Amino acid sequence: MSSAPEVLKPLKTWSHLADRRKRPSEYEIVTVNLHYRNRDPNIPWELDPDIPMNKWYRKYCNESPLKHPDWDSFRDPDELIYRTYNLLQDGQEAYVRGLLDQFSDRGHDQTIAPDWLPVLARLYAPVRFPVHIVQMVSCYIGQIAPASTITSCANFQAADGLRWLTHTAYRTAELAKTHPAAGFGKNERQLWEEDPAWQGFRALMEHVLVAWDWAEAFVALNLVVKPALEECVLGVLGEQARRHNDTLYGLLSQAQMRDAERHRRWAGALIDMAQSQEGNRALIDGWIAKWQPMADRAIEAYCAALPEAGAAELVKTRVAAAQAAMVQYR
Amino acid sequence: MTSLKQDEYYDLIRGVNWTPKYVPEEEIFPEEMSGSRGIPMAQWEAFDEPYKVTYGDYVQTQREKDAGVYSVKAGLERANYVKTADPGWVSTLQAHYGALAVAEYAAATAEARMARFSKAPGNRVVATFGMLDEMRHGQLQLFFSHEHTRLSRQWDWAHKALYTNEWAAIAARHMFDDMMFTRDAISTAIMLTFAFETGFTNMQFLGLSADAAEAGDHTFSNLISSIQTDESRHAQQGGAILKVMVDNGKIDDAQHMIDVIFWRTWKLFSVLTGPIMDYYTPLEHRKQSFKEFMEEWIIGQFVRQLDDLGLKKPWYWDTFVADLDQAHHAIHVGVWFYRPTVWWNPAAGASPEERAWLEQKYPGWNTTFGRTWDVITDNIVRGRLNMTLPETLPLLCNMSNVPIVGTPGDKWNTKDYPLVYEGRLYHFGSPIDRWCFEQEPERYKGHMNFIDRVLAGLVQPPDMAGALAYMGLAPGEMGEDAHDYAWAAAYQRKAAE
Repeated sequence: MSSAPEVLKPLKTWSHLADRRKRPSEYEIVTVNLHYRNRDPNIPWELDPDIPMNKWYRKYCNESPLKHPDWDSFRDPDELIYRTYNLLQDGQEAYVRGLLDQFSDRGHDQTIAPDWLPVLARLYAPVRFPVHIVQMVSCYIGQIAPASTITSCANFQAADGLRWLTHTAYRTAELAKTHPAAGFGKNERQLWEEDPAWQGFRALMEHVLVAWDWAEAFVALNLVVKPALEECVLGVLGEQARRHNDTLYGLLSQAQMRDAERHRRWAGALIDMAQSQEGNRALIDGWIAKWQPMADRAIEAYCAALPEAGAAELVKTRVAAAQAAMVQYR
Repeated sequence: MTSLKQDEYYDLIRGVNWTPKYVPEEEIFPEEMSGSRGIPMAQWEAFDEPYKVTYGDYVQTQREKDAGVYSVKAGLERANYVKTADPGWVSTLQAHYGALAVAEYAAATAEARMARFSKAPGNRVVATFGMLDEMRHGQLQLFFSHEHTRLSRQWDWAHKALYTNEWAAIAARHMFDDMMFTRDAISTAIMLTFAFETGFTNMQFLGLSADAAEAGDHTFSNLISSIQTDESRHAQQGGAILKVMVDNGKIDDAQHMIDVIFWRTWKLFSVLTGPIMDYYTPLEHRKQSFKEFMEEWIIGQFVRQLDDLGLKKPWYWDTFVADLDQAHHAIHVGVWFYRPTVWWNPAAGASPEERAWLEQKYPGWNTTFGRTWDVITDNIVRGRLNMTLPETLPLLCNMSNVPIVGTPGDKWNTKDYPLVYEGRLYHFGSPIDRWCFEQEPERYKGHMNFIDRVLAGLVQPPDMAGALAYMGLAPGEMGEDAHDYAWAAAYQRKAAE
């Protein structure tokens, strides 16, 4: 039978990676092109085309105003996969465990100054709530993002949010043991819901929870909300902690900032990729302009409660610098 | 050292519900995504997972587990088990990876749905670990299968199957998308983590792992049993959610969700797992029959868990139990006969010794399914291979998306269960599949199974060649008999005598 069709030959890698000259990395083999819902943009899920979830994914993912012909070409600059994420973070956690144990053994919490203790109770312990919302919104971006390489970054970011939440819970419980009358472990929800220092962040975070368009959620969270929160609670709070002899929080906040820096790297890479398409830069700038005033109010309310003056301006400068670095990633 | 014990701070980790003020609660947790069913936020805070893990413990344990499975893989790489394995076992691996690897990565989205939208803060914490787990399972299985792409083009399907319109891929997507990607957080917890993960994945990942160990495939055995240790941790979310539902008077809702998804899962496993356990796995390596695995993991353990929560067996239980003797045998005949339409090489599993095993495990097999294999075998013995290959397309069920089948021979019962809904005629393989449709017709009514697409003119030309092209199957990918009919040699010798 001379007309028999050609028998496909085996390939060295997945067919979707095979036409490149480069041998794919482990990262690419296990991370690229995994959202099979991208198969048919009109019917992401294999059910009735008009069930609510198909409409949700069409509207908030596939029809996002931020356009790119090939989101799957995005690459995480850290090329993290599950295996390397655990290697990285187990090492980081070993460091944090060491810190916590060493300071605990030295009776660190007994030495906390009476004027710093209420700062921790009011401006540190409630951090559980906003970092949990970082976790939640990152989970949303992970489930709605147009490419698995973006999803993976967002999912690891969500896990880092849980990491920060866990550290904060641990420290809160420790402080409660040494200072049972200071309200640790009891008052945080009320402070988060009522204290004027937190209401700016609470408003900001509640709003970012309902930014449903995947790209707006990403820009709002990664370029505005997170930098604002991080520069407040990891940045200036950590620095003031050191100056009030709370060396432990100074070091712990810096350890968490390593995660934030990684988040800024992937966000910068994604913004860079988006900007290659006409019109996207204006859209991104527009979203930043929309969210920044609310973030500024959050920064001002929080910083006004810090013991040292001038923090708000410092935070705003740093947030602007972080944004500029992400927008001018290259 | 004066480290805190986990129970001294765990409640603070999951004590993160707050009362929204600047944006209404019902906007932050839309009912279509959250599914709280009128149970107030505070009631969901009673969610209590029995096995607790913190972030630091998680990354440590998981790093160690990964070190284990990757080192087994590296250590055995040179032995190159797959290259010399029985072709039936290779087909088992190809079917498994194609249906599950990318689906497991996608399952991170289901976990993320709970981690974002569940009103139970403990659920949001556990689901974040579950989300990481599912990334692990997708990535591990892609990495482990990738090394075989050099062996045959069928291995490419470990990645691409779910991107195609191959019929089994459509069936898998329809079921997975229904169960875990298109429902609210609470339904996802019940359907995915309770019904699917406590029941059926135990069987796939521990049952198949036992077969793999018997077959000498220690890499795969280790891999999937390691995966199951994660599954059993995050599967506990379902029970914790069910408890909140039961305590708040929503037991009927919960029961209903279990009844729907249990059947759907059974139908999928009767395609995916039944044939590989009872026909593809080499006879000498079969640890138990598929039915015995089902009896142990589903009828035994899963029913105990239902009892513990005050739930009942699904209403169609007797039909389900009877189906254990039927569904996968029937589907196996179909998959083997339609072998060019799958991405693996189905093993017939019908040599005299294998038939004796089947008759022993499933008394009456010879006078029912055996009759079909008698005809197939006879055609092979007489050199009429064309008569063992399909020329037409089968009738597919509009729920399971697999062929409508039944028992042949003495107990012939194959029947279509039709339904006209809003003027369209649907076909179902059982009254239960039809019942699933009737529960929520809006979810399913606009979906087209493979045959609907042929009838709608999407498959051109509307014959077997057009169907294969539409499914994305080319020579080199299309399935053939795994053993090149060697299993029929004994019958040929007998005929020659």
